[in-house]
Amino acid sequence: MARFVVRRVVLLVAVLFAVTFLGFSAMNLLGDPLVNVVGVLAELDCEGIEAGLVEDTTVDAASRDCDTVAAAKAQYHLDQPVPVRYVLWVGDLATGDFGTSFQNDQPVSQVIREKLPETLILLVMAQIVSLGVAIPWGVIAAYRANRAFDRGSTVASFGLLSVPNFALGVVLLYLLALRWQVFPSAYEGDNLGGLVFSMVLPAVTLGLPLAASYQRLLRTDLITTLQEDFVHMARAKGLPPLRIMFRHALRPSMFSVITVFGVSTGALIGGSLVVEQIFGIPGIGREIVTAVVRDDFPVVLAIVMLVACTFVVLNFVVDLLYSWLDPRVRAR
Amino acid sequence: MADLAPSAPLLSVRDLHVQFPTERGTVNAVNGVSFDLYEGKTLAIVGESGSGKSVTAKTLMNLLPRTAQVSGEVTYDGRDVRALAAEKVKHFFGVQMTMVFQDPMTSLNPVKKVGEQIAETLRYHLGRSRSEALEEAVELLDVVGMPEPARRVSQYPHELSGGLRQRVVIAMALACQPRLLIADEPTTAVDVTVQKHLLDLLDELRRNRGMSMILITHDLGVAHGRADDVAVMYAGRVVETADARTLFFDMRHPYTEALLRSIPRIDDPVHHRLDPIPGRPPELIDPPDECAFAPRCIYAQSDCLGGVPELSGLVGLHRFACLHPTGTERGMAAMSSNRAAGATAAGLPVTGSGGGSG
Repeated sequence: MARFVVRRVVLLVAVLFAVTFLGFSAMNLLGDPLVNVVGVLAELDCEGIEAGLVEDTTVDAASRDCDTVAAAKAQYHLDQPVPVRYVLWVGDLATGDFGTSFQNDQPVSQVIREKLPETLILLVMAQIVSLGVAIPWGVIAAYRANRAFDRGSTVASFGLLSVPNFALGVVLLYLLALRWQVFPSAYEGDNLGGLVFSMVLPAVTLGLPLAASYQRLLRTDLITTLQEDFVHMARAKGLPPLRIMFRHALRPSMFSVITVFGVSTGALIGGSLVVEQIFGIPGIGREIVTAVVRDDFPVVLAIVMLVACTFVVLNFVVDLLYSWLDPRVRAR
Repeated sequence: MADLAPSAPLLSVRDLHVQFPTERGTVNAVNGVSFDLYEGKTLAIVGESGSGKSVTAKTLMNLLPRTAQVSGEVTYDGRDVRALAAEKVKHFFGVQMTMVFQDPMTSLNPVKKVGEQIAETLRYHLGRSRSEALEEAVELLDVVGMPEPARRVSQYPHELSGGLRQRVVIAMALACQPRLLIADEPTTAVDVTVQKHLLDLLDELRRNRGMSMILITHDLGVAHGRADDVAVMYAGRVVETADARTLFFDMRHPYTEALLRSIPRIDDPVHHRLDPIPGRPPELIDPPDECAFAPRCIYAQSDCLGGVPELSGLVGLHRFACLHPTGTERGMAAMSSNRAAGATAAGLPVTGSGGGSG
């Protein structure tokens, strides 16, 4: 177990290095970060001005444009080559300094602290919705495989999978928030109760399509498990069908669902970009959209890193779940 | 109690038919099986794979897939078993009758501790508390000869050997003191060295608890000495049934005879050649209207190809479905005429030395 954890931590660190290096390089090579800090001044040929070859166009004599540029370069280490900047950035990161947003000079760590809880709650609720829907749905479909309910749910699940989440979100918002006014149409984040309540629709929007894919997997695995001898044995023991489904067949049939559970987090985070926009949730998803559009790369990098972390940690959790599900995995 | 009223059988099966619709056609898995089983007795159902013996067992336990078409009567202690199953009557299967499966590697749930799997039945059927049920599970494991039962209850199936797992399965089946135990090839999947132990254990438990047992096997040797009655099945029918002694020493059906000849015996000379049964069991889709064994039978005459022979006599007596039974004059005559012709009516070559009564 200890070795397992150590291996995972090493993997986590390696993944973080790879992801941040790629992100860092991309952000620096695809656009000039200097532009984002000093605007048009980045175009100035300061070397030429210093050498007297180009005329200095500074309006305000108190602060020369080239001094501003030089200060910005020094503050964000933009006078260094990209690899050096990366190392410096990682060094800052190690001390808990995520850098400063180009946008509003807020520390990135503060931005994340403000926006992350909303998104986390949304993701957790979406997974609860999807598993909560998919498990009973898959069990009933497998129990009555190829009957009316099962055929109907095949159609329904493909329907759900093919509806894009912005469409589903808008429909839910219109029906349940505007038409019938069951849920609030505007985000209420003042207290935890209101927050959770106003997250229901976004979570359903994210969770339902995922529930559909979980249901497909669970149904197929359950049908296979139901052919197993131990299920016959359980029937010969005279246990009632639902008990057999939940106590005997469900656990050994959860592997595909758990695997996809780990992988789907990426899709969920992607989905949360859109859903947070639709429902006006001030979360990480909205933040990263703004940050990417404005080339606010300290923020983008921090979020990318966070997503990568979530991914690795979640897949670690999935591995733990495997061994919880099946004692034979534990023995290895 | 059984001594006072031996009249009514515990389990009675009459004219059982089971069909499976498939894409290739309807499989006639069981074609009119009838037998009685009395309290405290063992009935062995013997046959090759595909003879319908396991399907018969699964029908009794209501374990067939929904697509199966079943007709006929199954009566347990005066109650219609198929009606009980349809009404989803609680506490019948698992309490009155239960089953032990062939492969202990697959018949235990891999993700549950063996103790839980035994205790579960006790809790559901007898309403025991978790701790009571676990204690009883330990006792049951002790009864079936599991070493260190108290430790085993908290182990998972993959931590046990095949033989030990089958003991768990037996303990599980015995938990609610069933009156009828159906053992479907209970030792086929375990090591030869363990087989005899398990069979003797089953037999001993049956005697101690006054249980009745249906022992399903492809091996007549397993039935020998353990069964009171034997039914030999072929192509979904019972072709011969009698008390064990009659069946082993005075069989009438050529298939029973052939089965016995194909078993190696300890008193055979070394390198003695076994007599395998020529050919293969017939297709169960659209079977021809003839004795199903005729193509493989060295006694076969032209009348064997003219229709399926009926099982003679009354249920409970020595019955066989053969027009030219072995050990009778008709059988002798059939054999010698086939030898003279060099082939049976179905075209199977017969040599002078090959099998038969000689």
